[in-house]
Amino acid sequence: MTREELLEVIEAVLEKASVPDVVATLTEERVAAVRFGQNRITQNMDTFERKLRITLGDGERKTVYSTHRIDVDAIPEILDKAMEMLKTASPDPEYMSPVNAGQVYPMIESWDRVTAEANPQGRTEAAGKAIVTARMHGMEAAGLVGMTYSNTAMGTSTGNLAHHRSTEAFMRLTIDRGKPSSFRVISAEAWKDLAVDEAISEVAAEVEADENQRELEPGEYRLIFEPQAVSNFIPYIAWHMNARPADEGLTVFSGRQDKSVTGDNFTMSSEVNGFLKGIPFNEEGLASKDVVWIDCGRLVNQPCTRYWASETGREPLFIPETLAIGGGSGSTEDLIRSTPGKALLFRRFWYIRFVDQKELSLTGMTRDGVFLVENGKIVHPLKDFRWNWKPLDLFSKIEKLGTRERKYHYSVPPMVIGPTVL
Amino acid sequence: MIKDMKGLAERVVGQLHNRGVDYGDARVENTDLENLTFRKQRLAEAELQEGRGVGVRVLFKGCWGFASCSCFDSDVVESTVDRAVEIAKAGAGVMAGSVSLSQETPAIGHYEGPCQKNPFEIPRSEKLDLLARAADIMHTSPLINMSLSRLRFERRRRAFSNTEGTLVSSDLVFTMPDITAYAVLDDDMQSRGFQEGARIAGWEWVEEADLIFWAEKAREEAIMKVKAPEGSSGVMDLVLDGTHLSLTMHESVGHPTESDRVLGWEASMAGRTFLNIDDQEKLKYGSEIVNFIADNTMPYGVASWGWDDDGVPGQKWYTIKDGIFQQFGSVRETALLVNRKHSTGCCRAQDFASFPINRQPNFYLEPGEEQLTPDDLISEVEKGVYIEGRGSFSIDQRRINFQFGGDMFWEIRNGKKVQPLKKVIYRSKTRDFWGSCDGISDKRFFRTMGLLTCGKGEPVQGARMTHGASTSRFRNIEVGRGAE
Repeated sequence: MTREELLEVIEAVLEKASVPDVVATLTEERVAAVRFGQNRITQNMDTFERKLRITLGDGERKTVYSTHRIDVDAIPEILDKAMEMLKTASPDPEYMSPVNAGQVYPMIESWDRVTAEANPQGRTEAAGKAIVTARMHGMEAAGLVGMTYSNTAMGTSTGNLAHHRSTEAFMRLTIDRGKPSSFRVISAEAWKDLAVDEAISEVAAEVEADENQRELEPGEYRLIFEPQAVSNFIPYIAWHMNARPADEGLTVFSGRQDKSVTGDNFTMSSEVNGFLKGIPFNEEGLASKDVVWIDCGRLVNQPCTRYWASETGREPLFIPETLAIGGGSGSTEDLIRSTPGKALLFRRFWYIRFVDQKELSLTGMTRDGVFLVENGKIVHPLKDFRWNWKPLDLFSKIEKLGTRERKYHYSVPPMVIGPTVL
Repeated sequence: MIKDMKGLAERVVGQLHNRGVDYGDARVENTDLENLTFRKQRLAEAELQEGRGVGVRVLFKGCWGFASCSCFDSDVVESTVDRAVEIAKAGAGVMAGSVSLSQETPAIGHYEGPCQKNPFEIPRSEKLDLLARAADIMHTSPLINMSLSRLRFERRRRAFSNTEGTLVSSDLVFTMPDITAYAVLDDDMQSRGFQEGARIAGWEWVEEADLIFWAEKAREEAIMKVKAPEGSSGVMDLVLDGTHLSLTMHESVGHPTESDRVLGWEASMAGRTFLNIDDQEKLKYGSEIVNFIADNTMPYGVASWGWDDDGVPGQKWYTIKDGIFQQFGSVRETALLVNRKHSTGCCRAQDFASFPINRQPNFYLEPGEEQLTPDDLISEVEKGVYIEGRGSFSIDQRRINFQFGGDMFWEIRNGKKVQPLKKVIYRSKTRDFWGSCDGISDKRFFRTMGLLTCGKGEPVQGARMTHGASTSRFRNIEVGRGAE
């Protein structure tokens, strides 16, 4: 649907609803992708979904109704069903009216028409290239390549009305030959900016370097994380940053607002329309903004709901899908060269889970490449192993940061962590 | 509604016949979802969702094409058929297709999952009263800083038809009660919650689950846990209840025995398996008392759909018998590749908008034949831990090296449960662990866990399956504290 058609549905919902508080969102999402494994294409898909989400409130109660029925003529019937739900809900002591009028939504340029309209040819050929390259080297390729677009209109009964659309092209690629393997994820707003050929040839070369893995010897090592490895930790920190659970004593950030939570060379922020492209509004219609969450190690802001903000005097904030970790200069290779003594290089981690939520202690496995480094040189690959770490402790002993890279909605640098016993 | 959905599926298949595909199928789905969540003593979420759509899958010269739409409008559905065909042809234009489906007998029929009391007909006030009472009970202690009480009901109606003559439908109600209490003391937080998850059942499952009982139990045991000492590290014995083992078996038996993993189709995401195709009917997986039965016909199992998304009927088979690995769970596309003539019926998609893939079936550890209680198992443990429920879980991509926590821990000393513990984890390797099983209590102690959110595939899809076990004992396992 066009912007105007989407907004027409939203305006009809706002006009016909019989309660004072309404927020309506209409979203279209398309995912067109090719999946491959064992050097064959295993899925080739193009899915489309259009969904209307209506939040109704009568000043005391609030309910949500979602439907795939999108039709201006059907709106009275849809609202009747939503109203039926509202009448039976219990009063909410934390009730909040929709966001005030006059929200200023940032303009975010993250739409590429050619990518949105792409036919299956390009992505199928990209998968084919990965498969042919892997076959040539006696390896196997697996992964997913394709695009998504989303097209969203939102309105509130307080007078806010907005539209946002975005595209993303992506490739996730694993190539392996038995146990030696490597992995890469690349993404961009436009298909033309996706460096598919480069990723395929680099990953295939990295598999060769992963041959003849040895066991890790217990000892003390510096840890060198490639950007992908750093990005694997970020969601576990972000999920625990919310102000209310922290204030209620449930998370590692309890009582730590304005205090140090990592070393002073770690900064985490969200950007809405910079190197990373975020979303302009959340499902309540609150405008997004650039926010620094951890500034030089100090927890300076926390995501906070509007209710909790009103209770505690904070500003209501949310993560607009993007998180950026402050970087330095130099590539992963530069970091390796400048690292003295014994170190381990990690490409990515797998199956990270909380061990203890209050401590923010995590467990996980290495995957697709872990290497012994001695005096600035890779010595040999290692077999995968399990680790149990606290990421805030790791980020309290960063010795060096490299140049940031985009990993989906994150921007992350490679980094060197100080001596750690394994 | 089912009749109309079947009619639509048949029309799609007619259109596929006209477009000259080698194979095609249509999945027509209609879903109603009700979700009620209390956060502390307040209704935080009251949500209804109404979903509908069509997924069309075709084969052309051995290449798949899949497209979906979120409506039943005939012109949109027909353009979705065209998109699916276009995609398959694009694939065939780039490289030779290799898909070959196992031969299965076309099916005609309808399946209704067990549901004695339709939860959508239970007054909402009754549901909210139950959640409010449960929340009130949990918050009678000031140490409970947070609680979640939830009811989730989903009615999913499905119609499936393919170009080989299959036309089947199902009408399934998934009911999931849930409750968790969070206790905070000094600088620690510990939680305890209901563990048995979802069932294909109606309101009767909410009644049987007894959230009021669980509210008290969760409150008391969360407090017990937050005050408890941490367990000691070392090699010791474990006695594990069925709700705990449900997750251990899911990760270390269910995933390694999926056929798409042995073929490498999950190599970039969920991973591969340590098993080889030739290991079927040969490899020692566990001790002789370990028998795993896969069963997509178990009445309340959340993977019992009548037919899977290949149109293959639900089946029952041994995954492991007398400790020996028997066969992979498969779909029509993988069955021949893992040296089987027929699919085991493990093909399922998250929803109409997802390409169906190889998923775990319902499966369980067969209870012991002799009368044996959990206390009998504990009585023969000098030093160990008794664990109930799910906690932290992690396993490598080949499904060998794992680490698990739990929801409630008890120290065992000299044959008796002596005190609660917290922050216990254990580590092992899949075959070592199942090989160390030397006692399984009888069927009186059988417990299940219905899981709705097993993530796999790219784009990631959630799938549902039920696992179960009677309390069992494992010797000489490495136990420790995660952050060490």
